Amino acid sequence: MRISDLIKMGLRNLSRRKARTGLTVLGVIIGTISIVIMVSIGIGMNNSFDKQFMENGAMTVIRIEQYGSIIDDEGNWLGSKEQVLDDNLVDMVRQVDHVKAVAPVLDTSAMLYSGKYETYISLRAIGHEAFAEFGYPELISGAYPTAENNRSVVIPSYVLENYFYNPNSRNYETVAIDPKEDELIFKFNEWRYVRNERKKEFKLDLTNVAIMEESDNWEHNSYVYFDMDYYKEIYTQYANTLKLEDRKKAMAELDTYSYIMINVDNIKNVTQVQEDIEALGYVTYSEMQYLEPLKQTSDMLQMVLGAIGALAMMVSAINIANTMVMSIYERTKEIGIMKVLGCLVKDVKKLFLFEAAMIGLLGGIVGIALSYLASFAINKYGGPLFQTLMQSSGVYDVGDAKFSVIPFWLPFLASGFAMLIGVLAGYFPARRATKISAIEAMKTDS
Amino acid sequence: MGVEPKKIIEVKNVRKIYRMGNEKIYAVDDISFDIYEGEFCCLLGSSGSGKSTLLNLMAGIEKLTSGQIIMKGQPIHKMNETRLARFRQKYLGFVFQSYNLIGTMTALENVELPLVFKRTPKKKRKTMAKEMLVKVGLKNRLQHKPKEMSGGQQQRVGIARAFVAKPSIVFADEPTGNLDTKTTMEVMNLIREIARDNHQTIVMVTHDQSLAEYADRVIRILDGKVQSIETIKEETNVEEENNGVVGDTADSNCVN
Repeated sequence: MRISDLIKMGLRNLSRRKARTGLTVLGVIIGTISIVIMVSIGIGMNNSFDKQFMENGAMTVIRIEQYGSIIDDEGNWLGSKEQVLDDNLVDMVRQVDHVKAVAPVLDTSAMLYSGKYETYISLRAIGHEAFAEFGYPELISGAYPTAENNRSVVIPSYVLENYFYNPNSRNYETVAIDPKEDELIFKFNEWRYVRNERKKEFKLDLTNVAIMEESDNWEHNSYVYFDMDYYKEIYTQYANTLKLEDRKKAMAELDTYSYIMINVDNIKNVTQVQEDIEALGYVTYSEMQYLEPLKQTSDMLQMVLGAIGALAMMVSAINIANTMVMSIYERTKEIGIMKVLGCLVKDVKKLFLFEAAMIGLLGGIVGIALSYLASFAINKYGGPLFQTLMQSSGVYDVGDAKFSVIPFWLPFLASGFAMLIGVLAGYFPARRATKISAIEAMKTDS
Repeated sequence: MGVEPKKIIEVKNVRKIYRMGNEKIYAVDDISFDIYEGEFCCLLGSSGSGKSTLLNLMAGIEKLTSGQIIMKGQPIHKMNETRLARFRQKYLGFVFQSYNLIGTMTALENVELPLVFKRTPKKKRKTMAKEMLVKVGLKNRLQHKPKEMSGGQQQRVGIARAFVAKPSIVFADEPTGNLDTKTTMEVMNLIREIARDNHQTIVMVTHDQSLAEYADRVIRILDGKVQSIETIKEETNVEEENNGVVGDTADSNCVN
C-alpha cells in the first residue's frame, strides 16, 4: 500500500467509530495535560528555587566561621563550635584539592559620620585579591583596592542610600549620602575599648571611596569593605589610642579571623571540599549544605508530580490498547478480506499502528494546547495553593514567580511521547491483527 | 478449446486432514486434477463434501496437509504469507458468497481495493475501477455504499473487484448463494462473459447443480474425493439447453 492510501484508510477507520475514537483521544488528552502540567510545575519550582539561592550567595563558596554552626543532614541547627581561624589554617586550606581561592575575613562594626548624619556599619576586611576571586559586584565609581593602592574603601550604594540618619531627629528618617560631595568620617566603635585620655581620638577621613552597585546578594549590600593590610594599618593606629590594657586585647583581635572564605573550582566539588576541611577538624558552612536537603525534597516532589502525570498517561495507553483490540475484533472479517485481496501482512500492521499513533498524536496535540491554557490559569489563579506547596519544599520567597513554566521543548517532547505511547499500545493489537487468517473472509456467517 | 490446453492449476495428491480431538477428518482426501488456462471449472459438491476446503487450499488460504498445488508453475503450498499476498495481487481474484464488500467504502473504492494493495497509481486505478463498474452495469452506483444496493448489485461490485486487476484466475465461492434465480443468471453470465473476453480461468465452487452448466468442466467432489470429472460439450447458449444438460449430468450423486 502507498502511504497516502494507508493514511486515508486509517483515518477512515478512526472516523467510523467517532465516539469511541473521541473517548480514547480524550484519555490521551488528559494524560498529556497531566504530564505537561506536572513537569511544568516542577520546572517552575526549580526556577524559583535556583533564583532564591542565587540571591543568598555564590554556590561555590564555603566558609569556616569562628563560631561554626553544626548542621545535621536535614539542615537543622544543632549547636555551634568555637574554632581558631589563623594564618596557619589558611595555609592548610590552600592545600586542599579543588580549592580555587582562600580569603581570611575580619568582620567588625564601626561608625560612619557625614555632617549631622551617622550610621553603624558592618566592616569587612579582606585581601584585595579576594574582590576578583569571589566575584564581587561591579563598582559605580572608584576602584577596588589593589596591591599598589590599598587605601580604597568600598561602600555599597545600598548603604549610602539607606543607612544614614540624624540621631537628633525625631523620626530617624534616612538620607542618601554622596561621598563625592559629602564628607565621610570613619570611627571605630567607642564602647568596645577604653581610650587613653591623653591621646587624640582616632578618626579617618574617607576620601578614596569606591561605590559598589546594588546586588541580588544581600551579603554584598550590607558591608563596608577594607583591604586587609590597610585595615590592619589603621587598626594599629586606632589601638595606639587605647589604654594600655585594652590595647593588647584589641591587637589580639588581628591574630584570628572572623571567618575564612573558600572558593571551590566547581559546584560539584563543594561537598567534597567541605568533607576534606572537616577532616582537619573544622566546621564549615556553605549554601550548598542547605541546598542539598532542600533540593532533595524538591526533587522528590517533582518525581511525585511526574509519577502522577505518568500514571495518567499509562491509563490512556491501556485505553488505546483496549480500543485497538476492540477495533480488531470488529474488523476480523475485514482484515481477512483484505488479506485475500492481496494486502501484505506488513501493511495490515502498519495500518493498525498508524491508527494507534494517530490517537496518540491527536490527543497529544489537543492536550498540549489545553496545557498552555491550564498553565496560564495556574499562574494567574493558583497562587495560594502553590505558595503552600513550594514552601513545603523550601522555597519561601515565591513573589512573582511562575508556578508553571512550559519550556519550548516540552510540547514537542509531550506530543512525541503521546505518539510513542500510541504506537507502543498499538503494537500488540497490531501484531494480533496480522495473525488473523484470510479464512475469515471465506466464512459466510455475518 | 485447443488440443493441448495449458495447465494453469495442478492439484496433485492433495490432502487436508483436520484433527477433532482424537478423530482425523479427511476434508480433502488425495485429490488430483488439473485446471486449464481459460476454462470455467466448477467444483460441484454438497455441503461438507470438502469443495470449499479445496478452494481455500488452491487459493493458499489454508495450508494443505500433504500433496502439491502448482499454480502458474509456482508451488502455492510452499509460499510464505508475503509471497502469497504478492501472488494474489498479481494472479488471483475472488468472488464471495456474501460479497464481502467493505461497508464503509463506496462501490468505486471497493473495486479499487485490490489495486490499492498492488500500489497502482491513483489515477490509473480510478479509471480501471470505473471501467470495470461500467462493464458490470453499475455506472450509476459508483458512489453508493454496499448497504444502499441490492444483493445483485453488491455481487456485481464483488465481481468488478475480482476482475479489476486482470487476474489470470478468479475463484468464486458460491457466488450466487444469496441471490434469487433471475439475478443468479445475470451474475453467472456476467462472470462468464468477462472471463471469456480476457481469457481468464474461473474456478467456481457450488452445491447448485443448475450452475454447473455455465462451466466448461465440472469436477464432482464427494466426501473429500473426486467423484467424476465431466467436460460439458461446447454450446452456444446455455440458457436454452438448460434443463437437458443438467438432467444428464447431475444424477442423485450430490443429494445430501
